[in-house]
Amino acid sequence: MTDREDKLMRAARGLATGISPARDLWPGIEQAISAPRKSRWSPMLAQAAAAVLLVGASSLVTYVAVKYDAGDTPAQVMTAAAPQGLIFDRAAFGGEDTLAAVYGRAGGNIGSMLDRELASLSPEAREDVERNLAVIRRAIEEIATALEKEPDNVFLQELLVEAYSNELALMNRIGSMAQRVMARRDI
Amino acid sequence: MLLAARFSDYSSRMVTLERPAFTEEADCIAKAQQSDAKAFERLYRMHVDRVYGLCLRMTGNVSEAEDSTQEAFIQAWNKLHLFRGDSAFSTWLHRIAVNAVLGRIRKSKREQDRIQVAVEQSSAPLATADTGDMRDLSEAVDRLPEGARHVFVLHAVYGYSHEETADMLDIAAGTSKAQLHRARRLLAQQLTEQGFEA
Repeated sequence: MTDREDKLMRAARGLATGISPARDLWPGIEQAISAPRKSRWSPMLAQAAAAVLLVGASSLVTYVAVKYDAGDTPAQVMTAAAPQGLIFDRAAFGGEDTLAAVYGRAGGNIGSMLDRELASLSPEAREDVERNLAVIRRAIEEIATALEKEPDNVFLQELLVEAYSNELALMNRIGSMAQRVMARRDI
Repeated sequence: MLLAARFSDYSSRMVTLERPAFTEEADCIAKAQQSDAKAFERLYRMHVDRVYGLCLRMTGNVSEAEDSTQEAFIQAWNKLHLFRGDSAFSTWLHRIAVNAVLGRIRKSKREQDRIQVAVEQSSAPLATADTGDMRDLSEAVDRLPEGARHVFVLHAVYGYSHEETADMLDIAAGTSKAQLHRARRLLAQQLTEQGFEA
């Protein structure tokens, strides 16, 4: 450090650290802290979040049960049931809802394959899949509605990603499940 | 004996001089943790000048500093139950204020219009208590690039160590040292041109 810089550093210690704001900032703070805290969990949103979790678990159980029934070992089934390339970056929509379009394309591709292959499943499995998909899609609609009001809410963004991810994962699994059923030679 | 008595007298005066402020703050913290807004207002009055000063020196902009200060105290109220006294209350509060400033800067960068407003507003000298050469230094600090300014303000003005500064700014300690070196060099250049006499 040069002499000049050394003097600067000593002078900096003399700069005022306490500076009074030109106006009293307390009224704004008081107003904010006395307002009743808005719960992020509206009953509808709580239901949507629960549906996302429940259907995610339920679709996995359906998948494992049907695959196990089809002759795979539980270990093989669980390995295959791991997320299949569904890796998403942390949501940062910044008010622009482009996620729906991206998922719409991905979902559309898998969806057309799903429609063809659902027909090859048993009526019970098909009904179960369709019921789960309906619940996820209802949850997606509710979360998307809430996001319109609070576009920067990270919690809602993550919940929406999770819901879309569950929907795609379910559709993807059923697609590959149906293909395996079709490929079997023992039935 | 006389010396011992004097020392005893001196140390008891030290205690009586220092204890009231300490106990008043501790008392206010305890009450505010029980949602006593009046106690929190007393904490605000005790600390607002240093928090606002930090925000003002970090942002170089009066309205951003006011907003950051308000945001910092609102966050402090919401997180007060997490304060365990592991550090001084002022340090804890400063950390929140730094986060509030950095959060607002990140948000501003996403909003181009706000940046334009901030640039226009920051061209006016800030109202600080500094006079003469110190005012020149203060204005030179405001003109430093953002990263160098933040490190300089926390380390050189507010006296935080490089480790504390790095922790608050979420950067490496080495980066803090490099930014301080850069700040010193830029300030020396600026002030030499102005004939600053430290």
